[in-house]
Amino acid sequence: MSFRAKSTTDDGVVTIRLIGDLDSRSAPVLNELIAEIDAQPVRRLVLLVDELAYLSSAGLRCLVFAHQKMGRGVDIVLVGVRPEVAETIRLTGFDRSVIMQDPVET
Amino acid sequence: MDKMVALVIVERAASIPDLDRALRDGSFEVVHRTPDEVVVDPVHGSAVDVVLASASLGLQKIALLSRHLNAGTPPPTLLVFPEEGDYAALESCVRSGFDFVAPPFLPTLLRSRMASCKERGKLALAVEELAAAASLRQYEQDLDIARQIQAGFLPETLPSPHGWEFAARTRPARQVGGDFYDGFELVNGRRLGFIVADVCDKGVGAALFMALIRTLLRHTAEHTGGWDLHDAEPDVGADSAVAAGTALTPLLALGAGPLVQAVVGTNRYMAKNHLRQGYFATLFFGVLDPVSGALLYINGGHNPPVLARARGGHTLLQPTGPAVGILADSGFLLHHTSLDPGDSLLVYTDGVVEARNGVGGQFGMDSLIDIACGSAPSAEALLDRVDTGLHHHVGAAEQFDDITMLALRRTAVR
Repeated sequence: MSFRAKSTTDDGVVTIRLIGDLDSRSAPVLNELIAEIDAQPVRRLVLLVDELAYLSSAGLRCLVFAHQKMGRGVDIVLVGVRPEVAETIRLTGFDRSVIMQDPVET
Repeated sequence: MDKMVALVIVERAASIPDLDRALRDGSFEVVHRTPDEVVVDPVHGSAVDVVLASASLGLQKIALLSRHLNAGTPPPTLLVFPEEGDYAALESCVRSGFDFVAPPFLPTLLRSRMASCKERGKLALAVEELAAAASLRQYEQDLDIARQIQAGFLPETLPSPHGWEFAARTRPARQVGGDFYDGFELVNGRRLGFIVADVCDKGVGAALFMALIRTLLRHTAEHTGGWDLHDAEPDVGADSAVAAGTALTPLLALGAGPLVQAVVGTNRYMAKNHLRQGYFATLFFGVLDPVSGALLYINGGHNPPVLARARGGHTLLQPTGPAVGILADSGFLLHHTSLDPGDSLLVYTDGVVEARNGVGGQFGMDSLIDIACGSAPSAEALLDRVDTGLHHHVGAAEQFDDITMLALRRTAVR
């Protein structure tokens, strides 16, 4: 199960596309990306997760980590969450800390 | 035997007549390169036996070359030589630990010097490998100590009240892990507390937090008396434990204090002191009245335990609050159910349902529910059956996550 993360920044809105499995093997990749992003002024963090197939507790820890690092003023938006991944987020109650959105049709 | 190859590195690809002559007379094949050529074309690096670099290149460049050449296996011997009588540069290299040759360049002297440098290089390499192996052994020893200490954070025995069976087991994916279970008496033995928890992530980091969270939960639970509404912390929240607690009958309420204080207190402690580290735990904490079979519980973001009924059917004990340590102001609801004779409760961590086979397929909830409802003859037998199921599913694939299970069974009345 491979994992890829790609980030783009536009006027304080950071968008990261996550592909594959986010677990303890791939979590350091995202953690590093988040640490890099945190060095710049961020208003909003958008995660495109329609191709994220699996989220383990270590993966969820990345999101909690991002949430705590960026502070309350920064919205974290998850776009296109698959049902299995949504279940993991809902189960731990982290759904109250992020915004989950359907993908926008383009 | 093939001719030995000597690579001479100087800034301009000029020859150094007396050195070249001595090398050729010592039956070396001589190749000249500039430092840039060596970096661009590493092929030569692996084919040479000895490298002679001009000290005039400067220490920095030579160190860089040395690192570059050392990538080859075995790395060639590197020596510096003085170019055009630049002995100051040579001294500076030698002070930094490089081997050297100096004029007059005579074939026999050169060969013998190179041979001894090569031996020294081999010896240094062997020592380096030994040191690496020794430090690896040290890490392994440390990890083994960590594993033993962590095992000490699990209960030696689980409570065994009359008419009930407890069984539990845990297997970390690595030496140490973030999962744990616990079982202990509360309120002077009138209640039994049991916990299955999963600290996010795995390995050493999770293990350190496991030790902290287990201690906070157990210590708080054991040192909180019976339920008293005036004890309730104001920030528990109107929709949470207080409100739920008021609806409890006095008999049920007996174990509620320790349960709520432990979970709310641990959450507050984690959020206050460790929020930045991003660790959290999902947990199921149950408090059982062994006389009536009543079970009070808080499920903090944990996979829902399976309550299998002797009369058929099952219930999933869904979360009553979020994971512990995720938010300072989390509210936890207190829920209750009860176990009748023959009923069993299976509490587990995500490592069980998310265990993968060789092609990535998960064990899944349905398989687990099937086993939980399969009326195993004892709590221990139930865990055996889950293990067998897991074994069949996973096959030769590596265990990826910590696996922990606890089974509670009320034995049938004779």
